[in-house]
Amino acid sequence: MNARSLSLGGAHHLPATFLVARREVRMRMRSRVFVGGTIVMTVLVVVGIVAASLLAGKTNPVRVGFSGGSQALERSFTATAASLGASVTVSDIADVTAGKAQVTAGTLDVLVTGSSTAPTAVAKEAMPSNVESALSLAAEAARLSDAGLSPAAVTSAMALVPVQLLQPPNPKDNENLFASLALGILLWIALGQYGNMVAQGVVEEKATRIMEILLATIQPSRLLAGKVIGIGLVGLLQLTIVGAAALVAVHVTNVAAIPALGVASILGDIFWFLLGFLFYATAYAAVASLVSRQEEVQSAVAPIGILQIAAYLLVYAALPNPTGPLATVCSLLPPFAPILMAVRMADIDVPFWQVGLAIALTVASIVGLTWLAGRIYANAAMRLGTRVRFMDAFRG
Amino acid sequence: MAAGTVLEIDHISKRYGDVVAVEDLSFDVRAGELFGFVGRNGAGKTTTMRIVLGVLSADVGEVRFGGTPLTFDSRRRIGYMPEERGLYPKMRVADQLRYLGELHGMTDADARASAQRWLDRFGLAERRNDELQALSLGNQQRIQLAAALVFGPDVLVLDEPFAGLDPLAVDVMSAVLREQADAGIPVIFSSHELELVERVCDRVGIIDRGKLVASGTVDELRAGGHERRRVDVPRAADDWDVGVPGVRLVESDGSRRLFELDPGVDDQALLQAALATGPVRAFERVEPSLGELFRTVIEEAGA
Repeated sequence: MNARSLSLGGAHHLPATFLVARREVRMRMRSRVFVGGTIVMTVLVVVGIVAASLLAGKTNPVRVGFSGGSQALERSFTATAASLGASVTVSDIADVTAGKAQVTAGTLDVLVTGSSTAPTAVAKEAMPSNVESALSLAAEAARLSDAGLSPAAVTSAMALVPVQLLQPPNPKDNENLFASLALGILLWIALGQYGNMVAQGVVEEKATRIMEILLATIQPSRLLAGKVIGIGLVGLLQLTIVGAAALVAVHVTNVAAIPALGVASILGDIFWFLLGFLFYATAYAAVASLVSRQEEVQSAVAPIGILQIAAYLLVYAALPNPTGPLATVCSLLPPFAPILMAVRMADIDVPFWQVGLAIALTVASIVGLTWLAGRIYANAAMRLGTRVRFMDAFRG
Repeated sequence: MAAGTVLEIDHISKRYGDVVAVEDLSFDVRAGELFGFVGRNGAGKTTTMRIVLGVLSADVGEVRFGGTPLTFDSRRRIGYMPEERGLYPKMRVADQLRYLGELHGMTDADARASAQRWLDRFGLAERRNDELQALSLGNQQRIQLAAALVFGPDVLVLDEPFAGLDPLAVDVMSAVLREQADAGIPVIFSSHELELVERVCDRVGIIDRGKLVASGTVDELRAGGHERRRVDVPRAADDWDVGVPGVRLVESDGSRRLFELDPGVDDQALLQAALATGPVRAFERVEPSLGELFRTVIEEAGA
């Protein structure tokens, strides 16, 4: 039986863009480059986080041991240390000599000996100043109490000076901003990587000449959109795997507080990453279709790389004044919006109309770019050999 | 759009800057017909085929199928084998055929079954899970043909399908093409192998410098040319002059002479002249091969 009669039904055939995207996902997930690359990236990120936690060991609580009469200070020392922002753990040490041996061995950071009113501290190399202050304040409170003051009088005597801020920092705390900024920049770098993958894929189709068969079957803009979407999904999967491993590593090593990365800001970063990816990947694909050999891809896509770096540098130029004209205008423009708007949104409350305008402009430019790239793609696809000039490809 | 209709190439022209690739080219490929497209390198064969497929657009003219101009959707029903072979080197053979079948609008199940059927037909069923690049060039070419056939096309356009094939593969390829034509679809292919074209094709089109200089069955092409006679005259002098108007000596091989007769010249006059030299061992009508016709036509077109 002839296949022709089978295919005429056509009721269940899938859209070409979907088929192209599905092929990209399947082929790349099967490739050793993808599997190996994901494993290497995951290992590097986890090793990096573990190394950071080892280097930043000082963030572990200071272990303070109390012996003899000074043990009476434990409770007030802990409370005072907390109010001074020092993270401590306390323990009872029965024997002073054994305690000193522990300090020398590094299993204990500080040993407190003597009475509660005149304690002495023993440390190995240095004593954290806030731990020292907390201990001094605890001893002073003990002396006041010893002198006959009531507990309430001691508390009021020892009260810290209240501080009034005339210009409180914006409600989005700093840690949140830096985490979001770091994530945004990492995604920006990833975006360049996946954009390059799209460029390589386009040139592969041109170099292996399958383009001619494909373009006889499917409109260039759909072929291009399928490729961009497929590689985008693969990229998102890879980032999710690496990101999940990083979160687990951060949680286990306790190197930073995970809640610092608010869910909303992560989602915001990912949303802008996707828009940025669609914008830049389409541009990468269009430019890559002008060349025929893998060796020429790098020089062809260089202008887009420069645009990306410019956007990255603009972040630093605009960040000190996130409501100024430079930051406001640039965060609305499609080539910069995906990173600048994401950063501004993490930093301040951006007016709704600005966010909406930036999204609308970016989406509109993605649609326009897909049309333009499809046109260039179709006209440049059949020209092998020398690099095709942009205007020739545009005119056809 | 159904099979059993005519593919019409109607006055198409295409130029690249000052270079004319195709000029005012017209011909038909009828349903159930194998049409051989011959011409020198750079004559415009590939450009014409790309225009039929819509991969290139013509400056002027149109291509019709079943009387209506080809659209993007009707072009998708054309099975195409480009001159520059192209498939994904790292994709598995069966996956590749399935993918192309689906891109042409087949369901997954149909595409799967059709891919398997063509792999069976070409004796490559065992290689179905191999990457294309692991196959020999001849087998890659079979897959390329399968890629053009997998979705059951309404028209077949094949650019140099026989290039690089071994004799057995040539037989399989020509059998498949004949089969497709017999199923009622127009099949057009280009080739440099004129002997093969003569043997396989129903009709031939000769293109030179972008223009169609001759088309028709091989017999029709012969009818337009000069008749030839081979005469074996052992006693004739080396410089024997026939002396019959409209008869020219083409070649001389010992006692055997090949003459070309202008249209309307009576070959009996040549026979009498031959008998005048002594015994005549042979007097035969010689049909020019397609290769000879091709050379004559090209020379005349260039003159």
